[in-house]
Amino acid sequence: MARIEIDEARCKGCGRCVVHCPKGLIEFSTELNERGYRYVIYEGDVEACTGCTMCAVVCPDQGVEVWNHRDKQTFVNTSGLTERMTHYCPGCTHGVIHRITAEVLEELGLLGRTVGIAPVGCSVLAYEYFNIDMFEAAHGRAPAVATGAKRARPECIVFTYQGDGDLASIGGNEILHAANRGEKITVIFINNAIYGMTGGQMAPTTLPGQRTTTSPLGRDVEDTGHPLRVAELLATLATPAYIARGSAHDAKHSITVKKMIKRAFEHQRDGTCFSFVEILSTCPTNWGLSPAESEQWVADEMIPYFPLGVLKEPAAQPAATPQEAQP
Amino acid sequence: MTKVLMKGNEALGEAAVRAGCVHFFGYPITPQTEVPEYLVKRLPEVGGVFLQAESEVASINMIYGAAGVGVKCLTSSSSPGISLMAEGMSYIAACELPCVIINIMRAGPGLGGILPAQSDYFQATRGHGHGDYQVIVLAPSSVQEAVDLMTLAFELSETYRNPVMVCADGMIGQMMEPVEFDREGRGPPLADNDWALGGADGRERRIVNSLYLTPEDLDAHNRKLKAKYDLIAERERRCDLDAGDEPADLLVVAFGTMARICKSAIDLVRDEGLKVALFRPITLNPFPFSELRAAMDALSERGSVLDVEMSMGQMLYDVRLAAEGSRAIAFYGRAGGVVPSPDDVATQIREALST
Amino acid sequence: MSAHLTEVIMAGFGGQGMLLAGKVLAHAAMGLQREVSWLPSYGPEMRGGTANVTVCISDEPIGSPFVDRPLGLLVMSRPSLEKFGPRVRPGGVIVINTSMIDVGSDRDHDCVVVAVPARKLAEVAGSERAANLVMLGAYVGASDVLPVDAVEASLVREFEGRKARFVPANLTAFRSGVELGRSARQGSEVVR
Repeated sequence: MARIEIDEARCKGCGRCVVHCPKGLIEFSTELNERGYRYVIYEGDVEACTGCTMCAVVCPDQGVEVWNHRDKQTFVNTSGLTERMTHYCPGCTHGVIHRITAEVLEELGLLGRTVGIAPVGCSVLAYEYFNIDMFEAAHGRAPAVATGAKRARPECIVFTYQGDGDLASIGGNEILHAANRGEKITVIFINNAIYGMTGGQMAPTTLPGQRTTTSPLGRDVEDTGHPLRVAELLATLATPAYIARGSAHDAKHSITVKKMIKRAFEHQRDGTCFSFVEILSTCPTNWGLSPAESEQWVADEMIPYFPLGVLKEPAAQPAATPQEAQP
Repeated sequence: MTKVLMKGNEALGEAAVRAGCVHFFGYPITPQTEVPEYLVKRLPEVGGVFLQAESEVASINMIYGAAGVGVKCLTSSSSPGISLMAEGMSYIAACELPCVIINIMRAGPGLGGILPAQSDYFQATRGHGHGDYQVIVLAPSSVQEAVDLMTLAFELSETYRNPVMVCADGMIGQMMEPVEFDREGRGPPLADNDWALGGADGRERRIVNSLYLTPEDLDAHNRKLKAKYDLIAERERRCDLDAGDEPADLLVVAFGTMARICKSAIDLVRDEGLKVALFRPITLNPFPFSELRAAMDALSERGSVLDVEMSMGQMLYDVRLAAEGSRAIAFYGRAGGVVPSPDDVATQIREALST
Repeated sequence: MSAHLTEVIMAGFGGQGMLLAGKVLAHAAMGLQREVSWLPSYGPEMRGGTANVTVCISDEPIGSPFVDRPLGLLVMSRPSLEKFGPRVRPGGVIVINTSMIDVGSDRDHDCVVVAVPARKLAEVAGSERAANLVMLGAYVGASDVLPVDAVEASLVREFEGRKARFVPANLTAFRSGVELGRSARQGSEVVR
């Protein structure tokens, strides 16, 4: 029979796996783990487990591994992440997107030549979590740092990981011009419609009417403009690019996000074009919602304003041999 | 080697290439634009990288990226652009990465003007960005010295893993003088160093970072940086003294182009029998305090000091620190792109000696 | 004062080629192992405004590349003559472009003043754009700043390559200036 193993110590008790297990095999424990979270346990009619991996796919904290009915491990924590616990709040999907990004780099065999660039914002400490060479950049400047690194060492795979304040507000100029120059870098853009690290202020992507600490009556678009659709904006540029938007709010969409991120790094590996994946992400803490409610809010409020899909991709692919730049 | 007649800005670009730097990121601004205009043609000849960034903010961050993956790199700007680079310089210094920044100073504040000035002395020596960091600052007074200091700049930046600024004024940048490129500075590739990023294949991963959330760790990092700056101050002070007939009655202190103008003024007044010496700091940071003090101590009993700058008096503070009250210090400065002439300075010298 | 120091200000409008004339002189001096500096005015005023250059030539390292009282002055326009004319040191050389300036200099008593119909001579030489080189020739002829052949060699080098076809007219223009300069020098009471 299929089975899962939960690492209680890593669990922050967000309950995403509880919600997403199709067989209802995961529950909250009555105990707290050493970090003070009411962790989850795998119990009940565990023989019903199909090894679908949904629990692992939605876990933001690398807390679940899965074996199939032949006892083959089908969900293994990626070596692209360190074992360090993230500082992200319970239910925040940053952890999911970290995992997906690291998995893609591992699966493509690129971890050993990748240089990542962490932003300023909630993911400022991403250099602690990605198990690769990393920069920590100044607020908004990651695409410029990536440009310098990639131009200097074209054989490296260079990506930035940026939130909406970092990329769309203070770093608006750097992302626009890196995209317009067609830098052969990959940008992972996390859009959760709010400033997380500073405690819930209005972001350029905050939705009309959304309450934040700096738009306490709800975002007034007459006063502060409309939310920026960055993927659409970049897709208007004449420069060839891979531009996509996905969402990490549930397992199914997370699987699509992985395909997009994989495509993005393939484009960089092959030297095709600039690649950009925007990912809608949850912020339960600053939205004032539970993890489950946050997922629903993404589906109900964010996706209608930020439609998902591949917005742009170069029509013709280059020849089968990847362009391996010489060191 | 034969001499060539070159504009300061172009000579700075060529000197960088000769020092082994083939990566340039910058943004146009008068009066330094000939640096990128020269390098955009020169760098492809040596397989280098030239990129016109979208702003100085981006330029300096591209430098951060390029330096972090272990290449010798250069950016160039003028005063208002250097203000925009302040943030990036703080990060690069904090992460202890080598790079060279050219500042062809123009007159400020604000948009100011485009004519030569020395009013970025505070900015260059007292910090641009935030935090307890320092940048080594070299101030050439001729095109040849600009070339020589460019080579030195790369050497110092790599020895100490610290940004180095070559700080000249618009006159040096725009002027043509004969130059010789007699030094080739290529050291081992920086990418071989144990701090350079480039993919962790086969080794421990590396991080280029300036975030320290534990106060004790950040305190230790600051202490480490300070120890480095102290070492630089001990070893790398450079200056030039023209003592004249000792003991002189007046010591003129000036740097860069202003020092040359003062030299011409001093030639004029020496013909009148006045005893005047000239002290020229070449490193603005570290400032040659002890050498300046020694030159002051060598003056005649009632000898005094005249500090001359193309600013409202910035290096003046360091001259006072060197004097520690031991000598009277007069100041003459013009701003806004007004360049004091040798006659103007000669008048000031006569006045200083008559009081 | 440094030995054998010559400073010359060449002043005109943007496009009149004074910066180039200065460069030809500076290159010639460098070829003779002299110390030299070439300092232009720069910035927006060069877009159709004044374009001046100061060239210093010396046997010793040059102090200030910026001078109050030059030994030589080449002026293409009246405002430049009014600005710089009074500053020329006694014994110096003033070259005036009479194609553009309808007044003489009041410095005849202590300077060699050369009146040069620069545009006319340039046209005769075959290139109306060579007025700057007529002026330079007049200055070289009227002063002992550098040997004429050294400046000619520098002029040829300046136009080598794609611009080589301009050399004959430019040389003719330069030489016509030299003639004028020499006769002005011979006729001047200032020269000892």
